[in-house]
Amino acid sequence: MLMEVKNQIKVNYLSFKYCIMREMLNKATFISNVLFMILNNSFMIVQWIVLYSLKDNVGGYTFKQVLLLWALASGVYGVAHLFFKKSFHLSEVINNGKLDAYIVQPKNILLSVITSDIEVSAIGDVLFSIIVFCVSGFTIKRFILFIIFIITGGLILTSVTVILNSLSFWFNNADMIADVGDSLMTSFSTYPDGIFKGLTKVLLFTLIPVGISNYIPVKVITEFNINLFVINIVVCIFLILLSNIIFYSGLKRYSSTNLMSARI
Amino acid sequence: MRKYLFIIKTQIMSNLQYIANILLGFIGYFIMLFILFNLWDYLYSSPDELINGYNMNQMTWYVIVTEVLWMTLGGRKLCRKISNDVKSGNITYNINKPYNYVLYCLSTHLGDVVIKGIVYTFLGMLTGFIFLGSFPKLNIISIIILLITAILATTISILLITCIGLVSFFIEDSGPLYWVYSKVILVLGTIFPIEYFPSILQKILQYSPVYVVSYGPAKLFVDFSMDNAIKVIVAQLVYIIISYVLCNLIYRKGVKRINVNGG
Repeated sequence: MLMEVKNQIKVNYLSFKYCIMREMLNKATFISNVLFMILNNSFMIVQWIVLYSLKDNVGGYTFKQVLLLWALASGVYGVAHLFFKKSFHLSEVINNGKLDAYIVQPKNILLSVITSDIEVSAIGDVLFSIIVFCVSGFTIKRFILFIIFIITGGLILTSVTVILNSLSFWFNNADMIADVGDSLMTSFSTYPDGIFKGLTKVLLFTLIPVGISNYIPVKVITEFNINLFVINIVVCIFLILLSNIIFYSGLKRYSSTNLMSARI
Repeated sequence: MRKYLFIIKTQIMSNLQYIANILLGFIGYFIMLFILFNLWDYLYSSPDELINGYNMNQMTWYVIVTEVLWMTLGGRKLCRKISNDVKSGNITYNINKPYNYVLYCLSTHLGDVVIKGIVYTFLGMLTGFIFLGSFPKLNIISIIILLITAILATTISILLITCIGLVSFFIEDSGPLYWVYSKVILVLGTIFPIEYFPSILQKILQYSPVYVVSYGPAKLFVDFSMDNAIKVIVAQLVYIIISYVLCNLIYRKGVKRINVNGG
């Protein structure tokens, strides 16, 4: 069992390494993608500078807490798109019958698929998140928590994406549902939860788990709370398991096409 | 001119087959609108309070109009298409055709956005009415002028994004340049009117693309005046000429660098 896990980690590490090497063939494009993504994200901070010139407090968040929220949102998005990019295109892989190449490998199919590509610009997201985190207030304890939360958040976002994309095993246009889910997760993650009321707020902590992946971490990093920390970890594990169950249930319905493809 | 009108017509007919996709795309627009509505609802202590000269109704309608203009555009798709045409060498199929490539891109994309624009405008107005319970006071002439400014704004946006896409002739991937352009428009003209920024920046923004593609038409929608309308239309016409000339310059310089092997 332990050997199997070790082998799987080794395969995923190699896959990630070769993806990075492939992308770095054109260094100028690689570097510009990373730098421009940092610049791109930085522009959004202007929005908050303007809003905080009107009020000292937006949705119960101080300016530094909004920076922390942005650091988390960017980090979560970055981790999910850097390491698990293909989970966001899983519908396409299923619909086009491109799973064959992964099924024949003696490794975890889901992990092999979702780690088979990387988003270079996501490196910019992760770097941006670390820079903004440092501006929001750096201490070793806060930084360790921050790293834990961008990993759990990235896993939560990936799991939700896998669940929604796996619906393609049952429905034809599930990619549209997945796009809406992705849009909900990313759009809400950069605004303080205090501006939402009633049902929206309930949904943000249940069906659209942005509350768990982004809002709870802001609260825990600002003032440590063991209960909220545990909730974040438990929900993360639960969603990983659920995404596995749904993907493998759907996989039983998968049928290949006559499309010939090769992984290069 | 007739061939470009024909391209627009063909694209419109083609897009009519994908109404369901357009309606689903509206969900993304609605989510953004819903978030911003909640944000302004939180920031305004009462609907009549004025922040930088805008009350809550005006601010919400401003965002609805700018978001309609922005979401209808589908700029990322256009930039990626041109960039891919250049990178893959597909652009060579367009070079020997009896049309101007820039006008071809413009007419193709204008045709793409017509149906989306009509659907998003209708649903956007409906959403605004549901949120706020009233429309801004506009007469038939002001509505016609607003439509003209919206069409001109879309034309300028398409030309500017075409310019960015054509930069792929010189750098391999122009996508990152588009990210920055889109964020400038989004932050400095879509989410906020330019009155929200320091006076020095306001003066610069009045001569920038933000004014002609986003702020101008939206400001007319929430606070219409004939003087302002003329000012916006003149600025838009100047921008159309500048961006068209710029596109052609980049294209002519870039196309000389094409080197396609095989096919």
